[in-house]
Amino acid sequence: MKIITCFKVVPDEQDIELKDNGELSFERAKLTISNYDLNSIEAGAQLAEKGSHELIGVSVGGAKINESKLKKNALSRGLTSLFMLADEKLSNLDTHQTAKLLKIMVEKIADWDLVLCGEGSSDLYAQQVGVQLGELLGATVINSVSKITEENGKIIVERTLENETEVIEVELPAVLSVTSFINLPRIPGMKNILSAGKKPSTVWSLTDIGGTCPSETVEVIETKAPRQMDRKKDITEDDSAESIQVFIEKIAAELR
Amino acid sequence: MRVLVFAEQKTSLEKLCQCVGALGERVEAIVIGEDTAIKGADKVWQLPVLNDITIEGYTESIIAFVKKEQPEWVVFPPSKRCKLIAGRLAAAMETSVLTDVMEIEQGIAKRMVFGGAAVRQEKVSGKIAVAMIGYDVFAMKNGSIGSEYGTIEFVEPIHRMKVLCTQRKEKIKVDLANAKKIIGVGRGIGKEEDLTLIRKLAEVIQAEVGCSRPIAESEGWMPKESYVGVSGLMLVPEVYVAVGISGQVQHMVGINRAKVIIAINKDKNAPIFKQADYGIVADLYKVVPLMVEKLCK
Repeated sequence: MKIITCFKVVPDEQDIELKDNGELSFERAKLTISNYDLNSIEAGAQLAEKGSHELIGVSVGGAKINESKLKKNALSRGLTSLFMLADEKLSNLDTHQTAKLLKIMVEKIADWDLVLCGEGSSDLYAQQVGVQLGELLGATVINSVSKITEENGKIIVERTLENETEVIEVELPAVLSVTSFINLPRIPGMKNILSAGKKPSTVWSLTDIGGTCPSETVEVIETKAPRQMDRKKDITEDDSAESIQVFIEKIAAELR
Repeated sequence: MRVLVFAEQKTSLEKLCQCVGALGERVEAIVIGEDTAIKGADKVWQLPVLNDITIEGYTESIIAFVKKEQPEWVVFPPSKRCKLIAGRLAAAMETSVLTDVMEIEQGIAKRMVFGGAAVRQEKVSGKIAVAMIGYDVFAMKNGSIGSEYGTIEFVEPIHRMKVLCTQRKEKIKVDLANAKKIIGVGRGIGKEEDLTLIRKLAEVIQAEVGCSRPIAESEGWMPKESYVGVSGLMLVPEVYVAVGISGQVQHMVGINRAKVIIAINKDKNAPIFKQADYGIVADLYKVVPLMVEKLCK
């Protein structure tokens, strides 16, 4: 079986800074793999290791996602190989554009059986790329997948919804979006990181896939920090019994 | 403007239909079955009830119908099933879904991005907008019932979803959404047993207990339904007591509309203190037992 796992490269949220005008600054933000996509890579790795399958990582984005540390990070998590579509023109894609480009990549890789995506990206969290990609590929589409097992060549998944859990036999080829609680992503060891450098990785540009950037479907008007409520910020920095006592008296009125 | 609404349950369909009138003057509901009366809908479109067809199995029918009818808006509630149906519809219509919309005005939708660190305003470039909207986005208008109805032709799904079994989830007893006081527990709690201490405090001050994502997902000490933050619950309690919570933006976004925030954390650099009304830099194991003792009337 050939499994493809998609991941998004995002600015590390810990490094995002707020400018005085309420806009966000990404200048100091390192690029990293979107948090929830670590779960889809791990889900793919567990399936691939158990059934000796091939696991291919796929990512699309701006030219700067083609960074060796990032690629090693992805490859050290159990991937067999990696394909990236990195192009200056692809830095701020909407979900439909992303799904269209991933479709081209997946079809170019060919002969695939299963595509895994994270539930949503940690930056925009629209939770849509997996379902859009599945539709565009004409494959079975299932979201909110919280467990995947392979039994006698059949893929059985658990799907966790608001009020119920479904067990579904998946008709392949399929595109599955997995939840953030499906597994606990591994922390790659030194050995994994060293061997990651020897694994094959391919980086395409738009010209390589013979395509242009699909047109934008959503126009972003602005992205700004929400206004914070004014808080009293009455903070006690002393943990003596007396100070705790005073603190409790202060909050007692609010807790009544 | 014509607004088409679909939801998997009648109650949510009626709620949505009654409030999306703000998007367009004509509201039409899609139902599975023979219902003809949907509050807030001028017209009801019926999909046939068929054996072995899941709700997702109607996606092809909805796509074909939307392609034929060309409404300006197609609106869904933000449920998991609808996220799948809306996404497939949007892909077929060559657009992106406006997900988890908090506000809409003149076609411009607001939603949270970067884990709640920012609010993004966006609008679709094409003629059709597919949106996932919660019931609290617009005020509910008085829902009259229209007399028109019609049928939607069923289109055989490309793939049938073979559901082997369905298990109802146990109803979680906590009702955080309606709680006036909430205690949030985070990583500052050393072990699962210590939650007893927190629950004792909750009892004393009559609060419900929620938690940060790691407590529910990594540790599994509390049900996933009780975690607060961008991918979990969004709450507006009167008082939020953050115990051992550092205050990362992904969590804070879930409670930053609380009237009063009280923080207990031993790290004086924890971001929670910048957003708290009252705080104490101390070990929670020193403070919480004293709170239980003193606040017990």
